[in-house]
Amino acid sequence: MNSMFKGGIILIIALMAATYFMAGDAFSLGEDYINDLTMLGAFAIIAITVFVALKYINQIKNDTASGELVEDNWDGIGEYTNDIPVGWGVIFIGTIVWMFWYMFVGYPTNQFSQVGQYNEEVNEYNVKFQSQWDNPTADTLKAMGESVFGVQCAPCHGVDAEGIAGKAQDLTQRISKEQVLTVIQNGQEGLGYAMGAMPAGMASGADAEAIATWVVGGMKGEKPASFVACASCHGEDGKGMNGMSPNLAEYDVVLMAKVIENGKKSSIGEMPSFKGRINETQTKALSAFLNSIKAGE
Amino acid sequence: MFHWLEQRPFFFAVVLFLTVAFAGVIEALPDFAKASQPVVGTKPYTTLQLAGRQVYIKENCLSCHSQLIRPFKSETDRYGMYSLSGEYAYDRPFLWGSKRTGPDLMRIGNYRTTDWHENHMMDPSSVVPGTVMPSYAHQFTNTADLATAYANANTQKEVFGVPYDQDGMPKLGTWAEAEAAALEEAKTVVADMKNQQVKDAVAGGSVPEIVAMIAYLNSLK
Repeated sequence: MNSMFKGGIILIIALMAATYFMAGDAFSLGEDYINDLTMLGAFAIIAITVFVALKYINQIKNDTASGELVEDNWDGIGEYTNDIPVGWGVIFIGTIVWMFWYMFVGYPTNQFSQVGQYNEEVNEYNVKFQSQWDNPTADTLKAMGESVFGVQCAPCHGVDAEGIAGKAQDLTQRISKEQVLTVIQNGQEGLGYAMGAMPAGMASGADAEAIATWVVGGMKGEKPASFVACASCHGEDGKGMNGMSPNLAEYDVVLMAKVIENGKKSSIGEMPSFKGRINETQTKALSAFLNSIKAGE
Repeated sequence: MFHWLEQRPFFFAVVLFLTVAFAGVIEALPDFAKASQPVVGTKPYTTLQLAGRQVYIKENCLSCHSQLIRPFKSETDRYGMYSLSGEYAYDRPFLWGSKRTGPDLMRIGNYRTTDWHENHMMDPSSVVPGTVMPSYAHQFTNTADLATAYANANTQKEVFGVPYDQDGMPKLGTWAEAEAAALEEAKTVVADMKNQQVKDAVAGGSVPEIVAMIAYLNSLK
């Protein structure tokens, strides 16, 4: 015991000396006492570690077991009927209490949800979008329209917006002569405009031909007399009477919004609805972009 | 009991396994059972759509296309609402896929239409410049296997209790009825198509694979 105690003291001094040798320059007793405290802590840890280790080594060397053995033994290894140490018991009970806490309160699903995280992401984006594009300039809209077009529209209308050789509407022009003639002949299902669907056969023959030529020509020059049939809904200037019916001159915001919401079925094919995929600002942007790429301008 | 067990390593291992497995099942099953209920509005596939689904499987579309939209804004912007497990309730087998050489197809029916598919399947690069997807022109001449699709649907109905022939659900009926219904549905699809050969085939009472395929793709919403 005595020699072990001496050995322990020597070991402690040696370890402290080694620590001081390695990191002594931090132990300056200067203004910054944090380093001093750390060093003192290190010394305390060394002392406690050595003493605890000595205690158990001493116990292994000198203690003899006592108490009552249980009936069974395993290959000669017996077991005492001693009570478990108090510390173990406390930890065991504590674990059970912690389990209930973890099960009902602490389990991470109560804090995290993938869908919740997704909703936060979307809300954050929408708020940012709102504030950033609150009052877009014409140039901003055009640029935004071009990028939205590239993602949402180009797969069918083509990157150049020309409709990939007749597979979709050529968006560099408002309407083609064949389309005007087809619609006059067959009528057109409504897109949800106040004026409703367009009936078939509003004009025919040379009249229809004249209307088509004038409309496709950008409604310049002398208006054909037969356009009266169209003007009652589309307006004298063919611009749809402020959103009551489709604008025949350009892709205005109302027309874009209606087509995006309802999709469109025409002689070329069917366009699906993009409801919920393109928001209001983006609709304006698309309209601005399409009007900026009109052929011949 | 424990005294008995701790002397018998084999049974000890068995009981340990059962205990852990039981805890796992208790944790996993209730949520799983709840999540795999069909989402309201989810319907089983019609015979024609199932025939298209068989073509989809046969052509191994799922090695390039997934059918599972994850809840990230970047995905929902492009493909639509994220997927819910209940939406796959009638998918046997499911076709989630794990590789996206091409885009996700979970909701392709919302943003592509019959005529686009017709152009695309015949010659993908005609509508998507630079695409690596091969042409599936043979689907315009091969005939869809409606009989197997009907057998598939009927098995799902009889064995797995998929609610065909119920209120608001697709009608299956007998083979003759199902065949006639599939032909009717095919006619509504080819009405929007331009390929004369396909139109003639359907008018003559046989359904090319492309028609079933498009019916299936349009049903993915």
